[in-house]
Amino acid sequence: MKAMYTKYKRELLVLVATIILGVIFTVINPMFLTWRNILTVFQQMVLNGLLAVGIMFTILTGGIDLSIGCTFAIVGIAVATCCVGGMNPIIAILIGLAVGIVLGCFNGFLVTNLKLQPFIATLGTMSLYRGIAYVVTGGQPVTNVPDSFRNIFNGQIGSSGIRYYVIVMVIVFLLAHMILAKTRTGDYLYAVGGNEEAAKLSGVNTRKTKYIAYIASGLCTAVAGLVMLASLGSAEATAGIGYETNAIAAAAIGGTSMAGGRGTALGTFFGAFMLAVLKVGMVVINVDSFWQYVVTGLIIIIASYFEFIKDDIAAFMAKHK
Amino acid sequence: MILFPFSSGGVCEMGNAVEFVKINKSFPGVHVLKDISFSVKEGEIHALIGENGAGKSTLLNILHGVYGDYEGDVLLHGKKVSFKNANDAIKNGNISKVHQEIMVVEELTVGQNVTMGYEPKKGPFIDFTKMHNDVDEILEELNCNFRSRDIVRTLTAGQKQMIAIAKAIYHHSNIISFDEPTAALTSKETEALFAVIRKLKKDGITILFVSHHLDELFELCDRASVFRDGEFVTTLTMAESNEDELIHAMVGRSVSSVASRLAPSRATDEVVLKVDGLTDITHNKFKDVSFELHKGEILGFYGLVGAGRTEVMRVLVGADPKLQGDIYLKNIKIPTNWNSTKALSRGIGMLSEDRKTTGFNKLATNIQNIAISSLEKYMTAGFFTNDAKKRKNAEHFFEELDINPKIPDYMTVNMSGGNQQKVILAKWMSTDIDIIIFDEPTKGVDVAAKAEIYRLMEELVAEGKSLIVVSSELPEAMGLSDRLIVMSEGRITKVLENREEFDQDAILNYAIGGDE
Repeated sequence: MKAMYTKYKRELLVLVATIILGVIFTVINPMFLTWRNILTVFQQMVLNGLLAVGIMFTILTGGIDLSIGCTFAIVGIAVATCCVGGMNPIIAILIGLAVGIVLGCFNGFLVTNLKLQPFIATLGTMSLYRGIAYVVTGGQPVTNVPDSFRNIFNGQIGSSGIRYYVIVMVIVFLLAHMILAKTRTGDYLYAVGGNEEAAKLSGVNTRKTKYIAYIASGLCTAVAGLVMLASLGSAEATAGIGYETNAIAAAAIGGTSMAGGRGTALGTFFGAFMLAVLKVGMVVINVDSFWQYVVTGLIIIIASYFEFIKDDIAAFMAKHK
Repeated sequence: MILFPFSSGGVCEMGNAVEFVKINKSFPGVHVLKDISFSVKEGEIHALIGENGAGKSTLLNILHGVYGDYEGDVLLHGKKVSFKNANDAIKNGNISKVHQEIMVVEELTVGQNVTMGYEPKKGPFIDFTKMHNDVDEILEELNCNFRSRDIVRTLTAGQKQMIAIAKAIYHHSNIISFDEPTAALTSKETEALFAVIRKLKKDGITILFVSHHLDELFELCDRASVFRDGEFVTTLTMAESNEDELIHAMVGRSVSSVASRLAPSRATDEVVLKVDGLTDITHNKFKDVSFELHKGEILGFYGLVGAGRTEVMRVLVGADPKLQGDIYLKNIKIPTNWNSTKALSRGIGMLSEDRKTTGFNKLATNIQNIAISSLEKYMTAGFFTNDAKKRKNAEHFFEELDINPKIPDYMTVNMSGGNQQKVILAKWMSTDIDIIIFDEPTKGVDVAAKAEIYRLMEELVAEGKSLIVVSSELPEAMGLSDRLIVMSEGRITKVLENREEFDQDAILNYAIGGDE
């Protein structure tokens, strides 16, 4: 138990801060702490959570994937087109995931084979993928996605109100956690992010590891694209603009270091959870939606400042025990 | 002090430039300095010596205001001081430090580097004329052969080192510490540096000097304060002491500082690695390199800095691409798409020269850094790694290699140089590799850890492994090697086939590219 505490101290702190936020919202409006509202919070965090856990993989290796918002749109369009054309929804889902993998793979190619800086490479694909989405659709949305597809994600467990896509998100986070904490790939990701040259000299296949990170990012983004399509029933080229910033915010609040080598799936989960609590809570207590941006910005700044001074705080606490 | 300029003995003796009074300093979990009290006289060259982790660097950091949080008093010229940060110490304490790593901004001029943060101003603008005149004056004083307007990038390591000294003079420092200043210098540059240090002494500046090279200390220093495990041991007068006494004070027992083979040679005739015509066709760092490594031998690679030895080794372990030439591992030619992962699986790996930047992951614990190359050993259910197994493996090597402190959960970056080197060695010993390349294995490693690393090398060859040792220290290369290869400017200039042929003058001659 104590080992868990020292290992996930940073993550638990985000959870505690989120609970404090929840208490404040509940005091102002008791409606906040209802089953329905809590469900809303989880539904709100699904898209951002999936995108955040994906982008976290790339950040861990010392990179970034700015193209996720665009990958998200392309996957939506591809799957919507397949479904509307009458394809079996399961096959359509597999195609969607494959599209995510291919787009992630291309990012990996730019970053490892062409040795481009990840920021620049994915800034390029961000525009490239968005352009493809516009060209393919001619700017027109793909609508009338059949329920046979939508119900796979939108259905709920009995009448509990827990939607399948929330379960999907939890499963993705669990998988990510297992990969990072329990497999060789996880160790390699941290090693590459911590010191790429040292990892290489240790016999780590750094190229393969970086490919895996960008593919994981594309794959998680594809899952997010499927969820979006299921809940809206239509896809368009403008979907997901600016989503990458929220995803980075969730990862950062959860303690992912932008320099790479540090961060956990649990932290990112709590980061996305906190942003969702904030978003829903502000609505519940009737704060103008414009203010949400202000508060979200402040929280990101406070969280990263805390990251910066946490060693000082620890020293202070140790001294005044 | 000025009141009693030439008196000696009694109460009127030469004043103390620096005095430490009962200094205590702890980091979370470790008490690094314990009740340190000693003093440094005005105008002397005073060495601080001790093994890695003995507390020398921490003490210097306290003196120079890097660590503000400590117990005890620091007195400069008899007055208690407490600096807010390193800049405060430079500005208000007139005390500067020349770092082990050369810290310069490569793209700026020498003058800009020297005056950085305190540039002479003319209104809101920098007064470059005055800057370069002032700095040129200092450079002339220091007998430097470069000018203030030179771009730092074009200078050699030794010249860059001078920038730090010029900076200290620019700030009118009367106390200057040198933290292993010769680590990156050639022997000629070292001589030039010592000449400058002696000149500074003549000008009345007090020098603190940290180095692992004992011969340097005897050449240069007046007195030496010895530290062991965070405690002050004694202050010795160099003229009345000798190397044995110094080492005994440092490690508490007698250790030979000389690299030598204690066990008989294990070399066989079996060729485990054959390199044929290896050439770097893109950067011309090495050309037509051919040699053989035999099973059980220690093959030395001697040369001056920049002879291309490291570059050759990087190709062998797959860190850089192989462009031209052939490499045979156990008689099997390596494929063209050679990389470090394949090298590991074929049993060859390297301990890099630059431990701090390429040796290990700074964000990882010792357990993680030891396990990273042998993860398949710690699996359960074929897919998941098991933390308990990783820990057990790390604990085993902490005992076997006597790595200190014995805390596998400790971050490797917080360990001393010698112990970091042992952690990296533990990483390779956890794998099945049987060809290990040591690139400058004892760089920045203290005398006791050095002896241990030499002993470990002998144990490795006794187990049937084959070693390549790249070293720029001739006594080390000569003392350890069964055979010795000398490189100069990217080419092998001589292969010395047995130890009887090792001759210092001849080897140096080959290293500078001379013929027989």
